[in-house]
Amino acid sequence: MTQITQAFAALSDPTRFAIVERLLTEGEKSAGDLQSTAEISAPAISRHLKVLRNAGVIHQRTAAQKRFYRVSPEAIQGISAWTMSHREFWESSMNRLHAALMKETTRK
Amino acid sequence: MTDLVISRNFPADPATVFAFVTQEKHLTDWFSPEGMTVADHQLDLTKTGAWRATMMNADGQKYKVSGEVTDVSPPDSVEFTWGWHDEQDERGGNSIVRIEVKSDNKGGTEFRLVHTGLVDQESADNHNVGWSSSFVKLERMAK
Repeated sequence: MTQITQAFAALSDPTRFAIVERLLTEGEKSAGDLQSTAEISAPAISRHLKVLRNAGVIHQRTAAQKRFYRVSPEAIQGISAWTMSHREFWESSMNRLHAALMKETTRK
Repeated sequence: MTDLVISRNFPADPATVFAFVTQEKHLTDWFSPEGMTVADHQLDLTKTGAWRATMMNADGQKYKVSGEVTDVSPPDSVEFTWGWHDEQDERGGNSIVRIEVKSDNKGGTEFRLVHTGLVDQESADNHNVGWSSSFVKLERMAK
């Protein structure tokens, strides 16, 4: 549970939430790219990114002296499972049942 | 109380679908959402009696659900009760799941799952559209 608690705590800030939302929809971004998400300074953005990184919500990669950030699939999976409704539970299971049946029918 | 109904068409004959829905060796392949595995389980839905399954995500978080198979009518339907357990292993509200399969007369199967007795709309319905659609996107990117 601690991982999820940390993720929610990190996401409770509107700027950090906006950063994660942007990374989810647009994919990996550099710190510079992310600065346009909110009208704040570069040091402020790096502070927010550090909080998100410490909470395990995002990953950092360095290339060509730039830092790139992307959302951690495990963190989102954790949140997704925690908030899952019965409909989501069954729909997702049904997708797997479908895949298992497809495998079975091609094997035959 | 709200009913949740999920209908699907599967490209396999009803007997195969029924086997996948009731037999333990098949259930462990699909009986949990994407990204989770079935850890501890007693999942024989081919006969009446107690069943349970503990699902686990990549972080090792566990979700336990259990119930009783109340009716098996091969190859048409199976019905079982459903209740999640909390961290103290206390079983919560009881609901009922009924699965029906029938031929679609085109070699495939009409599949219907009805989950009744859920406490409220929120429990039955998708109350977190934002996150789950982001999740699907993320999965696509991860591939």
